Amino acid sequence: MSVFVQYLVNGLTIGSFYALVALGYTMIYGIIRLINFAHGDLFMVGAFAGWLVVAAGAGMHLPVAMQLLLALLVAMVVVGLLAMGMERVAYQPLLKSSRLAILITALGVSLALENGAMIAFGAGFDTYPANILPLSGFHLFGAQVGYVQVAMFGLAILLMAGLYLFVQFTPVGTAMRALSFDQDAARLMGINVEGVVLITFLLGGSLAAASGVMMGLYYTQINFMMGFLMGLRAFTAAVLGGIGNIPGAMVGGLLIGVLQSLSAGYISSQWQDVIVFAVLILVLVFKPTGLFGERVVERM
Amino acid sequence: MAIRLGAWRPLVTRWGPLLVLALALIFPLGADSYWLTVGIGILTFAMLGLGLNLVVGYAGLLDLGYAAFYAIGAYTTALLSTVGHMTFWETLPFAVACSAIAGVIVGYPTLRLRSDYLAIVTLGFGEIVRITATNLGFTGGPNGIYAIPSPSIMGYQFFSQDSQYYLAVAFLLVVLFFTRQLAHSRLGRAWLSLREDESASEAVGVPSVRVKLWAYVFGAIFGGLAGAFFAARLTAISPDSFTYTQSINILMVVVLGGMASFPGVILGAAVVVGLPEVLRFMQLWRLFVFAIGLIALMLLRPQGIWPAASRKENPFGPGSERKLGPPLPLEALGRSRDSDGEEAALDVSGLRRRFGGVLAVDDVAFTVRPGEICSIIGPNGAGKTTVFNCITGVTRPDGGEVRLHGRALHGQTPHQVVGAGLSRTFQGIRLFKSMAVYENVLVGMYPHQKANVVDSLLHTGRQRREERDSLLRCQALLRFCGLEELAGHRASELSYGDQRRLEIARALAAQPKVLLLDEPAAGMNPSEKQALMGLVRRIRDLGVTVVLIDHDMNLVMGVSDHVVVLDRGRKIADGTPQEILADERVVAAYLGRDEDDEEVNAWPS
Repeated sequence: MSVFVQYLVNGLTIGSFYALVALGYTMIYGIIRLINFAHGDLFMVGAFAGWLVVAAGAGMHLPVAMQLLLALLVAMVVVGLLAMGMERVAYQPLLKSSRLAILITALGVSLALENGAMIAFGAGFDTYPANILPLSGFHLFGAQVGYVQVAMFGLAILLMAGLYLFVQFTPVGTAMRALSFDQDAARLMGINVEGVVLITFLLGGSLAAASGVMMGLYYTQINFMMGFLMGLRAFTAAVLGGIGNIPGAMVGGLLIGVLQSLSAGYISSQWQDVIVFAVLILVLVFKPTGLFGERVVERM
Repeated sequence: MAIRLGAWRPLVTRWGPLLVLALALIFPLGADSYWLTVGIGILTFAMLGLGLNLVVGYAGLLDLGYAAFYAIGAYTTALLSTVGHMTFWETLPFAVACSAIAGVIVGYPTLRLRSDYLAIVTLGFGEIVRITATNLGFTGGPNGIYAIPSPSIMGYQFFSQDSQYYLAVAFLLVVLFFTRQLAHSRLGRAWLSLREDESASEAVGVPSVRVKLWAYVFGAIFGGLAGAFFAARLTAISPDSFTYTQSINILMVVVLGGMASFPGVILGAAVVVGLPEVLRFMQLWRLFVFAIGLIALMLLRPQGIWPAASRKENPFGPGSERKLGPPLPLEALGRSRDSDGEEAALDVSGLRRRFGGVLAVDDVAFTVRPGEICSIIGPNGAGKTTVFNCITGVTRPDGGEVRLHGRALHGQTPHQVVGAGLSRTFQGIRLFKSMAVYENVLVGMYPHQKANVVDSLLHTGRQRREERDSLLRCQALLRFCGLEELAGHRASELSYGDQRRLEIARALAAQPKVLLLDEPAAGMNPSEKQALMGLVRRIRDLGVTVVLIDHDMNLVMGVSDHVVVLDRGRKIADGTPQEILADERVVAAYLGRDEDDEEVNAWPS
């Protein structure tokens, strides 16, 4: 029991990182039907941005809490802007072309970000300071739960809730939802489609950056290729939840985290991705639109 | 970068491939071993690209795990030649068969998914194959399999890089030959139609799931073939060669080169494999610059470097008689109703369909006699199109029966309904837009064509005869609909009225007993409408029973033998045009509501 709870706690922690990245996938897919392959790399850039801020903050002897807050904020802003720039330069001109063309530019952006980071930070691992976070925690059903885990999970939930409220209750959020149903109709209703798409990238990018900073703090090691696996898993999470569906991405992310943690713990970490993908395929075979996706009815 | 061949096209298409082949053949004379390796890499990726092109470029299915088939072919050859002591050539059929089976395994349960979901399933499958190969004992784990014997022919060993290069050229030519054969066949056209509009394709008679499965299987076969070659050439393989990144690179070859374009794919392979090598002098910056180049290239040429030709040669132009034989007389399009039997052409009874809280079709029943023109009319929202959709299997009715000359149609899929002899057009035009006019019609002939996949692959005598007969029939149909001169144009280039007529030609291509026309005159001006009515009568005279939906009362009353009136999902009248005009309920349905000014004006005075 205690082992199971431990896996569950660890799984939920990583799952919340996945969920934050999955949200970006799902939002961007929802409104421009693009699988943004570069999204995982935004997460990586976020991790590096946060790392730079923490290092600079430590140099200036700022208090730890201040360092962390700044790291989070700076990473979110920088990556949000980067995501907007990426949309403006590489995606927007192709929105009217074939969807595969834009998929390839997304791959190009991903490759550029990875190799840009490699040129800037080197091909090895960089480390967040290990002693910056408290190691203490408490026991729950015999499992060790770190305060850091709780705080990160809480922050992730807070961000997700904020996004959900934003999308449901603000005019821009309403415009986003309108766009996801019918872009042309939304335009005719006077919505600034390009602007709303940019804001979506801004939000998706910042959430990925927040996830990157937290992941960096949690595992301490970061690398220019860390976005690749994250992108793969977050994409899986988004599809599992029903791509285009915001609560679906949250649940999908947490599920993938838990699934991975359990299969690594009880079976073998070598097979964890096989198990995750096998579960995904099974879910899709029986529920072709993911857990929360709606059936698309086509008109003739 | 723009390639506008114009008048040079015939010259380029005839001599270009030979020139490229000649260059490829003399390439080893001037290349050192490093560039030979790059050359073999390009050739291998061109094979993979051609295979994936069938799946992505033709059938329009996004596959992000194509390297799995490459891996399966490579591992099959590696295991059979090291453990099983087979020669390379003996392992080939097994490599191809194993990848084909893998294609069925991924494809069968997942092809009903929408394309983006399919993308992740293929990605997951690719990862599963790679991780499995990494973790199993008999596949050599992360180290893979080594000491795979090189291929040999009659004692000649393909050891040297030169010889391996030429072997790669030979393999590529084989793959090129067979993928082209498939592309120019009944199956290839069906793939393209799926890419253009899947539900329209199914609704004109293409069995979409089966046709997609064949795309997967053939994609897998050529991927497996490339894998077998790869294993025997390198004499050692490991899971690292079959990563997700590799799948993505193969996808880049196809999209960057130009989807469904054979020269494009080969060019794409040269760019994707060759460019990073050319950029080696940039060292650390190499892949970064490549990535920027990739983005720039896609922005400049979203259709790919060498897109598929947008306009085809008119196959019925001057000189076509020599190839096809004399054109068919229009009478050849007629069908005899003798074999149809005595029963009603179309018998609908008790049809019901509910959408949420709305009963869109409520117990509708009507009978269409053979050889008549029957119109279904009614105000907007009366349920006319839903009735059509229920009859053709597009929408599953909640209850009721549909019989075509006595044969039950309810519960059948749209392509089965077309096969049974009932075809349709759509309210909003749904042509295969980037296909040529004549290709649209040929897709409509799918249900009656007999060429199987082997015929399509080998272009057997049977297949060639059938293609010629189909083209002749297509020519007659296009002439019947007044579109013969436009046969080589893209469907999207046609004027609105021509597009409507092309939809009719495509529906007639399935040799229907009954033709359903959903608002064929919508958006036409009065003289176009008159011409259309003439066409409808001529279709009836061919022996085809016609059922049409329209709003325009003048038009409907002028052409119909029989009119059925729907209002709010129910049938309110059924009779000859004279009876309908005199029917009070019909007048009330059309005139009783003040807000429907348009409908008032539509009433014949």
